Amino acid sequence: MSSDIHKIRNIGISAHIDSGKTTLTERILFYTQRIHAIHDVKGKDGVGATMDHMELERERGITITSAATHVEWKNHRINIIDTPGHVDFTIEVERSLQVLDGAVLVLCAVAGVQSQSITVDRQMKRYKVPRIAFVNKCDRSGANPERVSRALRDKLGHNPVLLQLPIGLEAKFEGVIDLVEMQAIYFGGDNGEKIEIREIPAELLADAEERHAELLDAASMFSDELMEAALEDRATPDLIRAAVRKGVLALDLTPVLMGSAYKNKGVQPLMDAVTRYLPDPTDVPIEAIDIDHDGAALALHPDPDAQTVAYAFKLDEGRYGQLTFLRVYQGTLKKGDTVFQSRTGKKIKIGRLVRMHADKMEDIELASAGDIVGIFGIDCHTGDTFTGPGPRISMTSMYVPEPVISLSVHPVDSKAQDNMSKALSRFTKEDPTFRVHLDPESNETIISGMGELHLDVYVERMKREYSAEVETGAPQVAYREAISRRADFDYLHKKQTGGSGQYAKVVGYIEPLTEGDYEFVDEVRGGRIPTEYVPACDKGFRSSLAKGSLIGFPVVGVRAVLTDGNSHAVDSSDMAFMTASRMAFRDAYKKAKPQILEPVMRVSVEGPGEFQGAFYRSLMQRRGTVLGSTEDAGFARVDADVPLAEMFGYSTDLRSATQGKAEFTMEFSKYAPAPKEVSDELLKKYRTNVSDEEDA
Amino acid sequence: MTNLMISLRRSPRMLLERDGHPGPGPGKLGLVVARAGVGKTAFLTGIGVDALLSGQKVLHVSVERSIDKIREWYDEQLVEMLKRERKLEHLSAVQLTMERRRHIHTFIGQSFSVDRVRQTVSLLRDSMEFVPAVIILDRMEYAGVDKPAIADLKAMAAEIGAELWMACRTHREGPASPGHLPPPADAFEDLVDVAFSLDPQDAKVRLHIIKDKEKMVERDLNILLDPQTLLLVPGVATKK
Repeated sequence: MSSDIHKIRNIGISAHIDSGKTTLTERILFYTQRIHAIHDVKGKDGVGATMDHMELERERGITITSAATHVEWKNHRINIIDTPGHVDFTIEVERSLQVLDGAVLVLCAVAGVQSQSITVDRQMKRYKVPRIAFVNKCDRSGANPERVSRALRDKLGHNPVLLQLPIGLEAKFEGVIDLVEMQAIYFGGDNGEKIEIREIPAELLADAEERHAELLDAASMFSDELMEAALEDRATPDLIRAAVRKGVLALDLTPVLMGSAYKNKGVQPLMDAVTRYLPDPTDVPIEAIDIDHDGAALALHPDPDAQTVAYAFKLDEGRYGQLTFLRVYQGTLKKGDTVFQSRTGKKIKIGRLVRMHADKMEDIELASAGDIVGIFGIDCHTGDTFTGPGPRISMTSMYVPEPVISLSVHPVDSKAQDNMSKALSRFTKEDPTFRVHLDPESNETIISGMGELHLDVYVERMKREYSAEVETGAPQVAYREAISRRADFDYLHKKQTGGSGQYAKVVGYIEPLTEGDYEFVDEVRGGRIPTEYVPACDKGFRSSLAKGSLIGFPVVGVRAVLTDGNSHAVDSSDMAFMTASRMAFRDAYKKAKPQILEPVMRVSVEGPGEFQGAFYRSLMQRRGTVLGSTEDAGFARVDADVPLAEMFGYSTDLRSATQGKAEFTMEFSKYAPAPKEVSDELLKKYRTNVSDEEDA
Repeated sequence: MTNLMISLRRSPRMLLERDGHPGPGPGKLGLVVARAGVGKTAFLTGIGVDALLSGQKVLHVSVERSIDKIREWYDEQLVEMLKRERKLEHLSAVQLTMERRRHIHTFIGQSFSVDRVRQTVSLLRDSMEFVPAVIILDRMEYAGVDKPAIADLKAMAAEIGAELWMACRTHREGPASPGHLPPPADAFEDLVDVAFSLDPQDAKVRLHIIKDKEKMVERDLNILLDPQTLLLVPGVATKK
């Protein structure tokens, strides 16, 4: 197998649940001879698809965590990261996108571009991942790949271009017409492994020629050579492919392929398209952070002889201990090598290096720039960077959203207590959006995450993987507090009655900060507060933000400006200035019209058009702001911003209102001021709790 | 907030204010005609923003466009207006107020029909108590809307007391017959109450009023619009 970096593809397969993504992956593994029999998701044979490697995923028929697998196709090495389809696991998708060079967007030929595809596509845009589309399920009743291609343009803003046409559709789906080579492809044999190339059926020829011309038009935009050749009627498949590739790499063109993974049709041409159109590691600019130079941006080069830089994007607890998935960005990782963990500076010896094939693995000696591999026996978190000797480098930190929901967990007995601790320590290393803390007041263990389902899955995993039986409390929304206007402070902290005294005076103001959580500005002139005490003032203000006085949630969006003050030659200290700042903040906060902010989710509900009214009503009842609705071939989608606090139990209500025919996705949108009646209720509840605690 | 929002208004629609309505009024059909690429959609968005700033509810109907894209246009205009007034700190509050007054409804594929618009209007009224005072129909040329359909839409708007706005793409060739709207708008001109034309001149856009059934403006405008937003440039005298 070639070690040429140009022959490496690191790709993701992203899609809406039930678009057939796992089935497609399964077929790819079969055709690349990584597996020798085909199983289905929730297979009748009880085996389950190979990429869904966790028991829970098999049971629910959805992919929860990413699994990496390596396949070889026509002299190319392809690393496939299977990505989850539910938005509650967004971090999994985002982690995958960071290490991917390209992606296949799987769309259902019947349902088209669904809400989850929109969310995933938005994330791909954020990471500038070039993509090709595969319209799956062309054998299903109602399949219409051309409509799906149009929806790519209308709903996602892509510039789609058909590379294939279907030969028959629904039950009569037989194969595809390759519009580049202008030939028909059929898939024979028991599992579609026998490719038969034939002439385009006469009845489809005119349509194929028209589409070929459209393809030439679209591709010519990216190649003058092709444009000239097309005008002189001498465009070759190689010229077309080169132009399409250019368009894809520039994120300006999305080639559309089609097939039916379940019926074993169209998968091999898709693999060809992956190798032909998606980028190799040298096509994608890689930017890292130079830790020794104040975090300056540093361009990396996928050169196997340069300093090694590898990035841990996924951890897995396996039979042989912690398995860390790494993307090697620069240099080479060899078994027996020593690398440095950038975050801690710790030296780490590479013991065992493996290529992953879902649950199975293959030991290897080395991995070069561009590759994705697994290593055993290192203690690290996701997001850690490992480097060879040389400057300290870190890969750009991942965008990690703040958790929006919390749950208390209580182990049922002491055995469960130990196991729960182990499980929680593992989960927090694996998933940066999953957080754990001990509430100092209630002494309860609190887990926080991105949604109900996100936390449900971890509670379930505690039980299954760690035998930790736990009881959970009611879900709590992560509110925030913020000030809404400027307020001045002028506070003197003075205790000079015997012994060593305390003296500090701080003057200034706090005001709302629109970008960021906190900012400290020192405008003190003339040494009214000696420089050595200024950091203590910052610390004092900062410590006041942990718990607001309205309902005890963190305060965000505050700029604290220190303009004046006073000190005492003997009695001033860091402690005195910290206390003065804390007290000043407490006073000013009350005057700054504090308000409660609640997390608001972007919710998309989708289903048959007859339920459009039900969607509106269900969202309005939950204090939603409906942003708009879309109609598409009998289906309706309604987008709204809805406070998270109102979304509990929505899936059950939606199911019953629509006889299970509608579905929804949600992701965090923003924090927004809670309306008065909600704020009043929260204030009342908080005051009751505080006075109960005081009574006790 | 209300005063701030009203102070931001800069759409040529405000030139049509009468009888206490911030525009031509219920049941009236306003049209903007221009060649492709001149900015009909931006102009219509400006009409929508103007209605929202005046406290009216707006239903923005479009074809083959995503909700996010249309929201972006509204947000861009608003940012531009607030920037000009140096009031950008009010962006999220004004945005939220506008979002609550606006509903965007898009049709993808071949799903557009007058009946479907009618049904959506009923659903919005019955399910959300949302009754628009202004309905904007964008990209109707893609939906193949003809004269009977426009008459139907106008009647529907009149039933709920809404003002209707549409755009029409004219062609480079084919000058208008004197006293008539340029083709293809001439086919339904008796339904149109007021019509603006956008005339590109170098990098600028000149606004004319080419039909004014009820003499709302009393003279041709012949003014230059802000080429970026297609809004009135500050200082242009409004009717009032």
